[in-house]
Amino acid sequence: MKRFEYLVKRFLLAIPVVWLGTSFTWYAIFMGPIDPAAALVGQTDPSATGKIENIRTNLGLDQPPLQQYLDYMSDVLVFDLGQTWVVYSGTEVNSLILQFLPRTLWLGFWSVVIAVFIGVPLGFYAGTRSNTLADYLTSFSGISWRAMPNFWLAAVLLSVLISSEALFGLQWESLGIQTDTITGNPGLGYMDGNPLALVTEPMNTLEAIKRVAPAALVLGSASMGNEIRIGRTAVMEVKNEQYIEFAKAKGVSGRQLVWKHVLRNALVPLVPIITTEAFLLIGGSVLVETVFGINGMGVLFLDAAINGDIPVLGSLMYVFILVLVGVNFLQDVLYTVIDPRIALEDSG
Amino acid sequence: MTTAQRQHPDTSQAVRDGLRRNPRPAVVWAAFGAGLLALQIGALLEFGGSAALDTVRAFNAIDAVPLTVGTEALAGFEQAAAEIPRLLSRQTIPNNGLYSVESEEWVVGPVYYNGQEWVGTFLGLEPATAWALRAVLVYAYAFAGLAWLWTGYRWFRRYYRVADWTPRDDVVDRLRSHYWGLFGLFVVFIFLTTVLFGPALAPTTNQASNVDPYSYETQYWDAETESVETTAVGTANSQSASSGSTNVGLFSYDDYGRYHPFGTLPGGQDLFTFIMYGARLSLSIGLVAVGLSTFIAAAFAMASAYYKGRVDLGLILLSDSIMALPSLLLIIMLSVIFGGTWLANIYSGGLLLSLVFVATGWPGLWRAIRGPTLQTTEREWVDAARAFGLKPRTIMRKHVFPYIVGYLLVYGSMSLGGVIIGIAGLSYLGLGVNPPTPEWGRAIGLGQPYIGTPSWHISIVPGVLITIVVIGFNALGDGVRDAIDPKSDTETTDAKGVGRGGGA
Repeated sequence: MKRFEYLVKRFLLAIPVVWLGTSFTWYAIFMGPIDPAAALVGQTDPSATGKIENIRTNLGLDQPPLQQYLDYMSDVLVFDLGQTWVVYSGTEVNSLILQFLPRTLWLGFWSVVIAVFIGVPLGFYAGTRSNTLADYLTSFSGISWRAMPNFWLAAVLLSVLISSEALFGLQWESLGIQTDTITGNPGLGYMDGNPLALVTEPMNTLEAIKRVAPAALVLGSASMGNEIRIGRTAVMEVKNEQYIEFAKAKGVSGRQLVWKHVLRNALVPLVPIITTEAFLLIGGSVLVETVFGINGMGVLFLDAAINGDIPVLGSLMYVFILVLVGVNFLQDVLYTVIDPRIALEDSG
Repeated sequence: MTTAQRQHPDTSQAVRDGLRRNPRPAVVWAAFGAGLLALQIGALLEFGGSAALDTVRAFNAIDAVPLTVGTEALAGFEQAAAEIPRLLSRQTIPNNGLYSVESEEWVVGPVYYNGQEWVGTFLGLEPATAWALRAVLVYAYAFAGLAWLWTGYRWFRRYYRVADWTPRDDVVDRLRSHYWGLFGLFVVFIFLTTVLFGPALAPTTNQASNVDPYSYETQYWDAETESVETTAVGTANSQSASSGSTNVGLFSYDDYGRYHPFGTLPGGQDLFTFIMYGARLSLSIGLVAVGLSTFIAAAFAMASAYYKGRVDLGLILLSDSIMALPSLLLIIMLSVIFGGTWLANIYSGGLLLSLVFVATGWPGLWRAIRGPTLQTTEREWVDAARAFGLKPRTIMRKHVFPYIVGYLLVYGSMSLGGVIIGIAGLSYLGLGVNPPTPEWGRAIGLGQPYIGTPSWHISIVPGVLITIVVIGFNALGDGVRDAIDPKSDTETTDAKGVGRGGGA
């Protein structure tokens, strides 16, 4: 039951984190140097002064601060995230999130998958051939992936794809599944009300994957570099374990040794790494979505920030906090499943 | 009195004795240093003057302080310092003429091609050669300075230091045989030199090329009328744009005989100058941000490791809740919220930006050094110091801090690369540093429509440079970590919160 206790403890620790994070956001937005109501009006209509008062009443800014805070916290608790003022003006934030979040999740999911399926095998490859030219090349490419700015990589990749016909003789748009443009939203509408369409309509799914593939590759690039690095070390550590020596002495064939004994054990330290990448993915989504013209949460956040739609920033930040804390908790669950020792060690 | 205090006067006395017995190495070393300094004393004074001037101006911009300080004296000092000749400057080795309309005199030059030969450049060389010569001299000077410092350390070790061996020697020796770390050190050194000597390296000035091009004039050879003509820099810029159809590429001249090592921007400004000044800005913002956040992280790490219990838990909660906010988005939000205040006007938004990076960056650093600090506080000498009755502050400063300095250096170096990427990402989005202040990310954004055209250099060059600089800082961090702690598990100690600028 130690494991369950550990998870409960981690869950309880997550509550103050969400509370503090949300309070901090509230304070920065409503008590900070900028008046949200003035910022909203300043963007739409500079002449209307009565409008500011209206918005102030509407946002509850005329209340005493403590009342405002309590109202805000109880509102976000029941997911009453208010409405937008400038960006898609007048829309409920909730409905915008329902519309925008799936695209970001789709992008994030594929960026993790692409990074794992390229990074981990490369890292294992480098680890099994340590200190050869192939190892050095792979490791160095991993280091470069980690150092390249995402937005720059995205811009370069986009330009390469646009001129793909001139460069490689085949057009990216007509490669595999026909898409009419390179940038833009992945068409996820076919799954509305019918999530099973993901499997039953494979053509639509493939098209949606192809749409986000370049963006996902860029977004996953940094994680890919990390996974190469950690995969390599993991294999090199496992290679020196005694049970590998023993298996060798027993006469296990080379191929079986690698697949059955080395790789399986080397996977253990990699799983938690993958979940921690979520932090980078959400931050990086702003830039990558902007470059590839995907209307996801990152672009929504940036639009709200640039247009002074400050209350919306707070609501979106709350959603991001929930997503990140959720991913963190998921990671704890995975930890305890993979490595039960964690729950015993970290009980202090 | 502790042992260290008792030993201190003896040690310095021994060093003084050594100096008296054998003054030759010290004198040679000091003379060489003085020679190096004399070549550039004007630049040093000018830099000091302008730094003081900037600080005073920033201070005057603070609304909360009603008092303003006069800047005339400082401006005069800077002016006088600027007149002192020096080796590494555009005036000593000119490659490009600039005439200031405002002060009605030639800043550099006049430089022009008179139909047969170059007039006004260094020894009549081609501008490209003159510029290359200046660049070579700058790096040679920097390496001479590095060699001077290294020799100083070696000679001190050989002739004057009392101890034959100290643990630091091993650290230095390990770093010397760590080729990856040395590569990082090399890249970082080149970058720092570039930043420090940016104005001397650039073919023109930021003011003339980018900020105020219509207040400066330049001369050129007009082949049609076969005469030397004068034109505003702004006019010349508009004729030298790189925008796909027209292009001034890498290592080429524009129609006005001006040399552009990295080509020009879509507005015709010199890309090399833009990148030089952008590097200055990125590095100063990065250094302030990383310096402050390492300071906070170290203080908190020592507090949580010393007091443990509730202090530690409270800091865990605080850092967890800051880290639960996606950092790049938090940075965007904070720069919007504080965008209208006086903070945003200091150093064209640079100070605000570095404070924002401090606010989001310290929890990651704190997480990374909390472990090593905790280990140090569990060592027996900390217990002994406590039993001896020393105050907690003294224990932390004297008996814990020296052991975590190395880790601060490692993680500071690694997160500096991340901050540089983050700043570039923000200015790519049009946030952060206000135009027309040069920034690498803005160059990438400006050049993005032209990546597939002959003007690809605008985006590609800054991107490649960022990548190299970040690799350099990471490699240096790796090298220093292996040098201070050869047993450390190099891969797993890489804390997730450090580096990468929140995913930019």
